[in-house]
Amino acid sequence: MARAREEARDSQLVSGREPTSRIIRVSVKTPQDCQEFMLAENSSVHHFKKQISKRLHYDTDRLVLIFTGKILRDQDILSQRGIFDGTTVNLVVRTRLKGTLPGPGTLPGPTDHCTHHSEPSTSESAGMLARLGRLAQSSPELTDFLGQLAQLLTAAPESVVQFLENPVIQGLVNEKPAKARQAPESSRQNPQKPEPTLKALETLQNPARQQELLQANKQDLEALTAVPGGDNAMRPVCSDIQQFMLFTLAPLVASKGQNPASELCKEEANAHSNTDTTITIPTASAPARPLTQKVRAGQATQARSVASNQTHSGCGLRMPDINSGHNLLSQESQQPIGKATLTSQLRPSPSALCKALHVLQQNPALLHQLASGSPLQHHLPLLPILTNPRALQALIQIEKGLQILSKEVPGLGRCLWDPDDTKMIMLTMMMMIRTL
Amino acid sequence: MEPPNLYPVKLYVYDLSKGLARRLSPIMLERERQRHRQREKQAPCREPDAGLDPGTPGSRPGPKAGKQLEGIWHTSIVVHKDEFYFGSGGISSCPPGGTLLGPPDSVVDVGSTEVTEELFQEYLSSLGESLFRREAYNIFENNCNTFTNEVAQFLTGRKIPSYITDLPSEILSTPFGQALRPFLDPIQIQPHGGSPIGRPNGQS
Repeated sequence: MARAREEARDSQLVSGREPTSRIIRVSVKTPQDCQEFMLAENSSVHHFKKQISKRLHYDTDRLVLIFTGKILRDQDILSQRGIFDGTTVNLVVRTRLKGTLPGPGTLPGPTDHCTHHSEPSTSESAGMLARLGRLAQSSPELTDFLGQLAQLLTAAPESVVQFLENPVIQGLVNEKPAKARQAPESSRQNPQKPEPTLKALETLQNPARQQELLQANKQDLEALTAVPGGDNAMRPVCSDIQQFMLFTLAPLVASKGQNPASELCKEEANAHSNTDTTITIPTASAPARPLTQKVRAGQATQARSVASNQTHSGCGLRMPDINSGHNLLSQESQQPIGKATLTSQLRPSPSALCKALHVLQQNPALLHQLASGSPLQHHLPLLPILTNPRALQALIQIEKGLQILSKEVPGLGRCLWDPDDTKMIMLTMMMMIRTL
Repeated sequence: MEPPNLYPVKLYVYDLSKGLARRLSPIMLERERQRHRQREKQAPCREPDAGLDPGTPGSRPGPKAGKQLEGIWHTSIVVHKDEFYFGSGGISSCPPGGTLLGPPDSVVDVGSTEVTEELFQEYLSSLGESLFRREAYNIFENNCNTFTNEVAQFLTGRKIPSYITDLPSEILSTPFGQALRPFLDPIQIQPHGGSPIGRPNGQS
């Protein structure tokens, strides 16, 4: 009787006529691949497993078939469990039967490597991970992080102030109104220049210990960049911040350090251009690239002439003045501390930039003064947007308004707002979030 | 025969952009379309408005909203009281909500499974050696959501919501996404706080 049934089934398998037991195509999906099997829809799971075992060479005892989350028992019939033509079942091959050891072929070399590699890095960077966690989890933390970024903007000029303390700075303060007017920051901002720069200097002298703090924490956050992914996140942020910083130093340095800076500018120009070009994350360097190009162009020009009047001729030369001036002054102020630390400081030092941004956020007036008149005015105000949702909303509305404006008055909108900033901010945010 | 145990399977959904994508995407993607529109005005030849309005290919772009992305989604599967996810460090697990991302932005009920914890670990180990090795991570083609989709189908037969799995194609279908693809492609995402899954025989 059973044999007859079996023969009938076999004949059905061959002819495929009977609707009660069609041949169906079932896909068997393993983690490695997917294979198709043709069998009668009323065959048992046990029969199915035998077919699988024949083709894939696994022991039927080790096969586990799963369909829509249910484990298929040997005595089940395929059609009863809802397996029809074209359905896919999942297969897991047990590496061991209960109570036995796993086979040699199943021991994973790659997984071992994975675990071994992750362990040391995890133990090393545990503290950094905690820090990243704090950064990531709440926006007030993020504000602090960004706030610290701002500190470099004042830390570096602070060293400038320290160096140029008594004789030179007094003279420069007196000269400042005249020189500031000559500085080609922006024609519409010129009258405001002398006072903001004076006030900025006074404000900068207040955070006297920024430099020490910067040095102390720099070690910790340099290690942060060693965290996988951390460096990649830091770099675009820091490169932008560094560019911001350099630009905002333009009013200060250009007016203060023109005379003594110009001599040593030539020497330092190349050194700093190298530092600049090391920042090459493409997404973040979109604004930085034009700056770098201007730097190189301007430095070449400046190398030819010593006169500080070169700073008048435009944005292209302003950068080298800033770079070299900043570079020079920071260097000379740090010579007692150690010149070796300077290049790394000019490099995106996360802690330094953190603090710079922090001070800037604490003193919004300072931010405004430092930024006023420089082409960076577009960038710096955007930084609080990263953390302030109301600012973000306002930005969106402004964007919309400017779009309408640019449609109505072509060419005007572009002057007021750089559309690339918004993208850059978003990408910067994504980069930072990516460090999670 | 006793009925087998059923274990609930949940999908934890996180927005990596923390709301920024929802706010900024209409602007950023719309802006590209504006430029595109201006280009169209200058050049009389008509280009299909690729991706931003697939409903009316080839038509002149009228006043429409820019593409809206609700979020940049990262997902993980929670089953057997553990959260499993895939990142640039391979398949990892942690207590539910235990990554540095914190609690999920939303939880989707995927269904129930009979798959036991032991069987699931075997399955994950097998996946971790094949399709979801740590080197195989790619932010567009083989990311955390690919993994959760795969696992959800294994555990319950159901897929995860399409708005999550459609995200890469949504982004890449815009000029913005296409332009940035070479920069976005190497991005590796690995939420911290979990540990890599191991073999049942004791490897950590």
